[in-house]
Amino acid sequence: MIQVENLTKRYGQHIAVDQLNFTVNQGEILGFLGPNGAGKSTTMNIITGYISATSGSVKINGLDILEQPQAVKQKIGYLPEFPPLYGEMTVKEYLDFVSEIKHVSPNVKQANLDKIVDLVKIADVWNRLIKNLSKGYKQRIGLAQALIGNPEILILDEPTVGLDPKQIIEIRNLIKDLGKEHTIILSSHILPEVSAVCERLIIINNGKIVAGDTPENLSKNLSASSKLSLRVAGPKDQVLKILNNLTGVKEILPQGIKEPNTIDILIEAEKDTDLRRPIFNALSQSNYPILMMRSLDLTLEDIFLHVTTEEEHLEEVS
Amino acid sequence: MLAILKRELKTYFLTPVGYIFMGFFLLISGFFFAFGNLFQGNPSYNSMLGTITFVFMILVPILTMRLLAEETRQKTDQLLLTSPLRVTQIVLGKYLAAVAVFLLTVAVTFVYPIILSFYGSIAIAEIIGGYIGFLLLGASFIAVGLFVSSLTENQVVAAVVTFSMLLFFWIMDGLHQYLPNTTTSGIVFISLLLCGLVLIIHRGAKNLFITVLTGLVSAAGITIGYFVNNFLYDGLILKFIERLSLLKRFEPFISGNLSLGPVVFFLSFITFFIFLTIQMIEKRRWN
Repeated sequence: MIQVENLTKRYGQHIAVDQLNFTVNQGEILGFLGPNGAGKSTTMNIITGYISATSGSVKINGLDILEQPQAVKQKIGYLPEFPPLYGEMTVKEYLDFVSEIKHVSPNVKQANLDKIVDLVKIADVWNRLIKNLSKGYKQRIGLAQALIGNPEILILDEPTVGLDPKQIIEIRNLIKDLGKEHTIILSSHILPEVSAVCERLIIINNGKIVAGDTPENLSKNLSASSKLSLRVAGPKDQVLKILNNLTGVKEILPQGIKEPNTIDILIEAEKDTDLRRPIFNALSQSNYPILMMRSLDLTLEDIFLHVTTEEEHLEEVS
Repeated sequence: MLAILKRELKTYFLTPVGYIFMGFFLLISGFFFAFGNLFQGNPSYNSMLGTITFVFMILVPILTMRLLAEETRQKTDQLLLTSPLRVTQIVLGKYLAAVAVFLLTVAVTFVYPIILSFYGSIAIAEIIGGYIGFLLLGASFIAVGLFVSSLTENQVVAAVVTFSMLLFFWIMDGLHQYLPNTTTSGIVFISLLLCGLVLIIHRGAKNLFITVLTGLVSAAGITIGYFVNNFLYDGLILKFIERLSLLKRFEPFISGNLSLGPVVFFLSFITFFIFLTIQMIEKRRWN
């Protein structure tokens, strides 16, 4: 449905988006994840035809945005990072105006609007001036604007920014519902958000795709070698010697002493090895009780940091 | 286009801008009508129209400063440019809205000649001609304002720059006597113009070879021109300014000499600035 090929955007010497390639299938919800300034908004601005790429192409249903802008733009509803609202208009006036510029035929306009107002729950501010509304309402009106004309594709740039936790959950559920009828690209720098809503994630950093898969696969792939955190009561040298003799150990990192007469250790196992039982057996044989054993699975948070942070920086943090 | 036009018109009267424009314009025109025509017992209405054109300099910037600058600042241009509308439709809609406010205001002043007609006979055809010129001049200035508004996202900057540009158009004719008309000055002037052109080409093409080539061709052209006709560059600056002068083309309307030439000039002027505005918006999307 959406095909992005070798998309590049330069601002002078600065490369905002670098050779981006991905496709979005019909009915899919794609999450676009990356730190601030990674190039998410720029990519979305190019897909929607707001700015043009330096090179590369965007095709919607095989139509190029540069060659047939009118036909393509008719298919896309866009909620930019800052909702494009006219403060001096009322919500009704604004949505009527958007209906007109999106060429919604007058026969279906009202039915279309009624449905949207119901979906995003803005009926109670219908006749109020937009400039007097709260950030949450403004965000919803921005979303309403994107839904006008029932476009096949929705592009939402950080749709939950500025909302309170209850509203965030509402909007997430709304996006999930919309995903049944629309193809959606959603950007965020907040992980739980995209992992809760999206079927597929693309992590982008410095204008490049650094990872792309389903949220489950992403955590599975990167957590292939599992880590265990241990606290053992016993002398450091003896304990380390016992652990070193175990098979399947990739790396042992002593973490220092946090309780008297104990030692904290971080053990990394080789791929597809479960070390928990061997460790327990070996240490209990020598009568060094294990006070704590915890497996450190990589969460999406870790993956995100892992792929978006330079190696040396990671070491500094740990 | 109609949707944009409607929204802009509404905005003029939802914000104070429309009222300020109308109020100020009617105040000034009423003042000059009362003191120039009524109290003096002077039936020449067109001279009043000619006199009040100076209000354009102050009022046109107020009318046009918001048009595109505010869209960029509020990021509402994202809505317009990602909608199925063409840039031409957006720009034309906005331009026509400003012109409509101007027309509406001028329409109110139609009562002045009607008042005059109570006291004696008036030259109706001449007044209609005067109004046509007046509207064309105003519409041309609005096109300049629209263009300037597309250059910045700051309304104040847009207003000040529009004012300066209109002031330049205004005093251009008065500069005549102070400008040099020697051959050297003409050559310097055309060289500067061509330098500007070469710079624009350089920024567009980003190719040193093309830039140098156009530079050399221009220089050769100037030299050949001089040898072919030694007097070619005499008084070039004056001729150039005369060609551009809006006020010179407005005068015939006031004096009752309606002809097609000036009408075509004003319409081309308007088209040129609308075209520049569209190009400006397209260009910004490419950078």
